[in-house]
Amino acid sequence: MTAVLAAQGLIKSFGDLIAVNGVSFEIAEGETFGLLGPNGAGKTTSISMVAGLLEPDNGTVHVAGTQIRTNSTNGRSDIGLVPQEIAIYPDLTATENLRFFGRLYDMPGETLDKRVEEVLEVIGLSERQDDLVSEFSGGMQRRLNIGIGLLHRPRLLILDEPTVGVDPQSRNAILESVEDLSGEGIAVLYTTHYMEEAERLCDRVAIIDEGVIKAEGTRRELVSLVGEKDRIRVTVTGDLVEVARVASELPAVHEASPADSGVDVLANDASSVLPELLSRVAATGANVTGVAVSEPNLEAVFLHLTGKALRD
Amino acid sequence: MRKILAIAGSNVRRMLRERSNIFFVFIFPIALILLIGAQFGGDFDPGVGIHQEDEGPLAAAITEEIQSDDSLAVTIFETRDELLDAVERGTVQAGLFIPAGASGRAEAGEQVELGFVARPDGAGPQLQSVVSAGVARVMTPVGAAQFGAEKAGASFDEALEVARSQTDAAPGLDVETIAVGEALFPTTLGRFDLGAAQQLVLFTFLTALAGSAALILSRKLGISRRMLSTPTSTGTIVGGEGAGRWAVAMVQGLYIVIVTYLLFRVDWGDPWGALLILVAFSAVGAGAGMLMGATFKNDQQAGGIGVVLSLGLAALGGCMLPIELFSPAMTRVAHLTPHAWALDGFAELVRRDGTVADILPELGVLVVYATVLLLLASWRLRAVLTRP
Repeated sequence: MTAVLAAQGLIKSFGDLIAVNGVSFEIAEGETFGLLGPNGAGKTTSISMVAGLLEPDNGTVHVAGTQIRTNSTNGRSDIGLVPQEIAIYPDLTATENLRFFGRLYDMPGETLDKRVEEVLEVIGLSERQDDLVSEFSGGMQRRLNIGIGLLHRPRLLILDEPTVGVDPQSRNAILESVEDLSGEGIAVLYTTHYMEEAERLCDRVAIIDEGVIKAEGTRRELVSLVGEKDRIRVTVTGDLVEVARVASELPAVHEASPADSGVDVLANDASSVLPELLSRVAATGANVTGVAVSEPNLEAVFLHLTGKALRD
Repeated sequence: MRKILAIAGSNVRRMLRERSNIFFVFIFPIALILLIGAQFGGDFDPGVGIHQEDEGPLAAAITEEIQSDDSLAVTIFETRDELLDAVERGTVQAGLFIPAGASGRAEAGEQVELGFVARPDGAGPQLQSVVSAGVARVMTPVGAAQFGAEKAGASFDEALEVARSQTDAAPGLDVETIAVGEALFPTTLGRFDLGAAQQLVLFTFLTALAGSAALILSRKLGISRRMLSTPTSTGTIVGGEGAGRWAVAMVQGLYIVIVTYLLFRVDWGDPWGALLILVAFSAVGAGAGMLMGATFKNDQQAGGIGVVLSLGLAALGGCMLPIELFSPAMTRVAHLTPHAWALDGFAELVRRDGTVADILPELGVLVVYATVLLLLASWRLRAVLTRP
């Protein structure tokens, strides 16, 4: 697939502090790419360079083939930025905010009118479109913040921690909206320090810490990179030792051992090994009463790669 | 240009939407102009009260003569006490009392004493002269008639008729009054004219500076930075913010000009000249407002300093006390402020019927102020917006 965004060797220092040190990644059309890291890891500095707000000391950013520079507006129409802060006028209505930014994106009158209606529908604010933003809840303001980024149908949407300080209901609505975007072919760059969001939304994730990308890939690739396995707890009645022995004979199983009222199995990919595993357990005469699968998460990967927790 | 207009338009919309502005931008300036006009206005007719106990023809003629003076507002009082009370309270500035039997005694050639009452302060002496002159105009033919009746043996009424006709036919004596020097405030200056120009300058600058808070808020909320992520150049954003501040100042200034003209018939002189002063002075305010908005980090801090600066410059520049009353040294200091130059321009237009050509020096100084401030503010805002 064509890369909508190509960031190559980005370096940015502020005095003695190297905020970003050699960050490179690409995002394809319709792909959601996550930058996962704790506060101060270099996420916002990276996306500031991608959005053309900050000139890198070294490295380049291309969006849809156009190099993004701070001193040029070339390529900006292909980018939609949703900043971490709620960057909208509180003393204007939702419609007025959308129209204002639409004009800055050079959207002509009729197109803008139509698109404003569509976006209001998408973010669920049609009925509140003429209310002042200052009267909105935090979640509604967040949704409008995202709506402005989507207004001009960008090819790349940059979302910088869009769910910070949002109630669970609005957070879920925001995540659902982002999930829909990849279906529309928009490349999404999503920064977060919430592991669950990265796991739910992102096709690929880059783990960033101290300005350096420590690892990059799909969740499974990252997990396998650090040797983490899926854990399958098979609850059975019968000979637990025999069940464990049978399970461990499967090639995809790394380890199997008896545990309280069942057997714990470690495998590379639980979903692929499970049918064969259950079949072999049943063949021993044991009665399977329950199965629970727990996949290793990115939190564990992050801990493994950086030696610290995500929220440190 | 469309983007500059969009940014400027959002600034004006936000200013108009701020509830406190309804008072400070629209009500307060007009109320102040009204108050100042009421206190220091000059074009009023002094009131003279008359109580006429005598119902004879001469008393009626005196009353009629005084009433015919367009420069006086004459009120007839039923009793002497009412007249005295009105003078004491200042309802009228002076009173004339015509005692009973005055006409008869005058016709008989007797000495008649009319009462004139006025407060010791104010316009009493001047009104006494005006009233005395009116009484004299009535009584002169009476004296002539008495003389004629006595010498020619005619009746008093016939002699009076002849005397009056001769008085009217007699050639008048014109006294030419030559004023030396120039009046500080010409008599043609309306009671609201001076205060309106002062408040226009004060509030236009104040509102422009208050707009700095809106710019700081845009920066704090990350809106300015978000604008930079759109296909909009830094120059366009800076231009839009400058145009926004200017538009806000113009709204304030035009509002004062139009409303004071409609409500108080304030004379703003040559309309093109007045508009050019307003345009140039609003640009000065816009530059100052944008410079503050780009310099301060806290909108409350900027708001407080803006008010102090606005009122200080207004006082120094002649918006609270006319520059004409300043000492020569303070007049020179006043002209370090753009306010004084704007007020000089309005004075030229309003008091001396000046035209655009006459106010070119004042406009030139204001344009220099505006250019310097806008360049400084643009440089500062550009630096702030592009700072990592």
